[in-house]
Amino acid sequence: MKDGIISWKAAGVALGLLLIVATYLVKPLGVSTQFVVSDAAIAHKINPEFAENNTYLKKYGEKEDWGVGYGWMLVFGMLVGGGITARIFASKQPEADKGSMPALWKAQFGPSRLKRNLACFGGGVLLLFGARLAGGCTSGHMISGISQMAISSFIFGAVTFAVAIMTAKFLYRNRGI
Amino acid sequence: MTLVLGFLIGCVFGAILFLGGASSYRRIIGTLLLKDMWIMKLMMTAMGVGTLGIYLLDLGNLANLSIKPAYIWGVAIGGAIFGIGWALSGYCPGTCVVGSSEGKTDAIFTLVGALVGAFIFSLAYPALEATVLAPANLGSISLVSVLGITGIWIAIPFSALLLFLAFFVLKDRYE
Repeated sequence: MKDGIISWKAAGVALGLLLIVATYLVKPLGVSTQFVVSDAAIAHKINPEFAENNTYLKKYGEKEDWGVGYGWMLVFGMLVGGGITARIFASKQPEADKGSMPALWKAQFGPSRLKRNLACFGGGVLLLFGARLAGGCTSGHMISGISQMAISSFIFGAVTFAVAIMTAKFLYRNRGI
Repeated sequence: MTLVLGFLIGCVFGAILFLGGASSYRRIIGTLLLKDMWIMKLMMTAMGVGTLGIYLLDLGNLANLSIKPAYIWGVAIGGAIFGIGWALSGYCPGTCVVGSSEGKTDAIFTLVGALVGAFIFSLAYPALEATVLAPANLGSISLVSVLGITGIWIAIPFSALLLFLAFFVLKDRYE
C-alpha cells in the first residue's frame, strides 16, 4: 500500500526534526500525561475536594493552576493542527483511511457501529491505564524515549509491540493474515 | 510564551501524524499484523533522525533531556495493557486526538475511553504505588549512562541501525 498524502519517509524525517526542535526549546514530545491533566481539571471543577484528596490527580494541578500548561497546549495544538490539515487535504486522503468504520474491522466484526465504538472505548481505557502505569505512550516512551535511548523506553517499546502484535494476530486469527 | 510554543509544536505534530497516515486503522493494524510496515518505518525514521539530533544537541548541553525512570514492573505491565488497547482500537493516545480532529467517531470514543482510563488509574494509584511502581526502580537510566560514554558515540551507530532497518530491511508483505 504505497498511497498516502506524504510518504512514511517524509513524515518520519519531519517528526524526527520536530522532536529535535521540541527537545531544544522545551522538552521531548509527550501526550498521555495530558489526559490526567484534563481529568484533574475536570475533577477540580466538579468536586474540588475529591480532586485535592486524590494523590495522583493532585500531582497534576495546584490549587490556582489546574490544567493548562505547555504540555496541554501541545495536545490541544494537535487537535487544531490535525483538524485544519485534515480539512485542507481531505481530497488527497486515501479512501481507505477515511471514515469511522475501517474496512478491515467491518469485514471481521460486522457493520455494527456500536460494536466498533465500544471496542474503541474499552481500548481507550486500556491505553491510558497502561500508559500511566508505564509512565508514557507512543510519543513520550517510544518516539521521544527511544530517541534518548532510555532503558525504560526500550522495555516499553518491546513489550508494547509484542503484546499489540499478539492481540492483532488473535483478533484477525481466522483471516489467514 | 511556552504556551504558544506548545500550541505551535502541537499543531505541527498533529499535521504530521495526519499527513503521514498515522491516524489510519489499516496502517496501524497493518503494522501490527506485520503486513504493512508503513507505521513501523515512519517511527524508526523519526527515532533515527531524533536520536542523532538530540545527542548532537547534547554535545553542546543544549538538549532538555527527559529520561523516564525504569521501574521494571510498572513499565512492562503498563506496556502490555497499552498494547492490548492499541490493537483493539487501532489508536494510541496521540493519534486518537488526531483521529478525533478528523471527525472519526471511533477515535472520539477512544479519546473518551482514554480520559476514563486515566481517571481509573488515578483511583488505583495509591494501591499500585507500593506494589508495582516502587519496587525494582532502576531510576532514570539510559544506554548512555549505563555504558558511561559520550552520548553521540552510541547515538551514531544506533541511529544508523534504525534508519538502515527502516529503509532497507523492513518490507511490506501482502498476500
